[in-house]
Amino acid sequence: MLKINNLEKSFGGIIATGNVTLELQKQTINAVIGPNGAGKTTLFNLITGKLKPDTGKVFIENKEITNLDETETTQMGIARAFQITNIFPNLTVYESIKLAILSKHNGLNNMWTRFKDHNVNYEADKIMKLAGLTKSKNIISSELSHGDQKLLDIALALCLKPKLLLLDEPTAGMGPEERWKMIDRIKELWKKTKITILFIEHDMDIVFGIAQKIYVLQQGAILAEGRPKDIKKDQKVIKAYLGGGKK
Amino acid sequence: MISFLKKDSFSRDACLALLSWVFLIVVFFIIPDPGVHDIIQKVFILGLFALSLNILIGYLGLIAFGHAAFFAAGAYTLGLFLQSDFIKIYNFGSFSIPVAILLSILVSGVLATFIGAICIRLKDIYFSFLTLAFQMVIYSIILALVDITGGDQGLMGGFPKPPFLGIDLSKPFDFYAFTIFISILVILVLRQLIESPFGYGLRMIRDNAERPAALGFNNQNHKLIAFIIAGSIAGLAGSLQALLDVGAYPEWAFWAKSAEPLFMILLGGMNTFLGPLMGALIFEILNDFVTANTKYYGLVLGLVILSFVLGLKQGLLDWMVIKFKESRNKNAQNK
Repeated sequence: MLKINNLEKSFGGIIATGNVTLELQKQTINAVIGPNGAGKTTLFNLITGKLKPDTGKVFIENKEITNLDETETTQMGIARAFQITNIFPNLTVYESIKLAILSKHNGLNNMWTRFKDHNVNYEADKIMKLAGLTKSKNIISSELSHGDQKLLDIALALCLKPKLLLLDEPTAGMGPEERWKMIDRIKELWKKTKITILFIEHDMDIVFGIAQKIYVLQQGAILAEGRPKDIKKDQKVIKAYLGGGKK
Repeated sequence: MISFLKKDSFSRDACLALLSWVFLIVVFFIIPDPGVHDIIQKVFILGLFALSLNILIGYLGLIAFGHAAFFAAGAYTLGLFLQSDFIKIYNFGSFSIPVAILLSILVSGVLATFIGAICIRLKDIYFSFLTLAFQMVIYSIILALVDITGGDQGLMGGFPKPPFLGIDLSKPFDFYAFTIFISILVILVLRQLIESPFGYGLRMIRDNAERPAALGFNNQNHKLIAFIIAGSIAGLAGSLQALLDVGAYPEWAFWAKSAEPLFMILLGGMNTFLGPLMGALIFEILNDFVTANTKYYGLVLGLVILSFVLGLKQGLLDWMVIKFKESRNKNAQNK
């Protein structure tokens, strides 16, 4: 579904993404791991069009999206949640989700009706339920817990009904217990929607527990890829990444 | 009654708007003091100016510091148009004033399109300074074109105010009723705009300018449209001010004029829709009473703004709304 061919990007001589080629299967959960500065977020920015690659091509369902900008890739079915929670602090959960849904339908240029009268309840309820935010419907986003803010970020991405969901460290800044809750939530969400997911994660236990395919990035290039059990055994990965921490 | 007020609908707002207009007409006859009428007129004119700026500041989060450019553009357009031979040649006759007002809105709107298209590419202080720079360009142009604008003397010589539809703006009552009617009508339209999906789109950009792009939303278009609307309404306020003063002055394009609506927003509050109008009321009353008693107007205004900023930490209407909500919640809990 997502196909990346020989993607390269450097910033003033420093290679952030070096010759990355990968192909995601439909309806799978995939993880990108790698140490800090391995180019994980840059890869996301290249896929979504926030950054333009120096060379290489990106396709989604065989349509090229290499030179589209962020807004356009969204229309092609790519949605993302961010590493640093990226929500609307002064709006309530429901208002934020409603805005994202209306935005998807180009409804935000409408000046002659009342925002409050727009009925997107069915869609919004479904998404809030998926993200586990139903109880927080009328809470101002900035007053949500950190975990719920992350979930809202993901919920906003879900409003676009994406084919491909990119999650940039969905468990960043969380305690161990909260992390597993988040992962269970993502797993459940995937089971219900079967969206293709690509996520970035630091915690190895989490990655091995949930991902069907793993890509290990190092200094911008793919060091190894494969199923979790193969990655665990991969000598290059153990040496470069897993070896240090685990005894 | 409260359930009726709670209904957040256009019809409720329209009823309230009509009622306020009727109320202010009644006030005109109950208090026959021309000084009071003058203050009320000015509050609405300046209120429009401040409300239009608050679209950018309160709802879009962009501190525009050159808003007086549009005010002055509206004022000079109206004045120059009414002084020109154009009206006679094309025989606008009794429709001169409505046409002049529409033209003022149009000219300031077009000006806002050009200035806005450039300024909205920038953020924060860079945006503020660029709007200020454009305003000073407009100010310099007004001063330089002495033959047309009268330079630093302002637009002198007055202009005719031919009656239209039975409204004679040279009569105090007609002017009072007309100005307030137009202002309230525009406030009603603004209210609709702010409560529409478009208005919530503005809040979305204010809260987080990065995220909307990842939701497939075109920020720049939205910002530009808001900028044009704000500029057009400031132009309308300027044209009404010119009608009131039968002239236009270069000070209206000076940067200090842009600070006035900012003060009003600070005094009245930026988070409540009518906050800037309340601010205009405080501003006008202060202006009237203080200048009548002392020449230290700037000092008094400064102290009042300081006390609001440091004491209430918000505008008066914002503060009142929060207090009201708190007491309502307390009552609800006690029950």
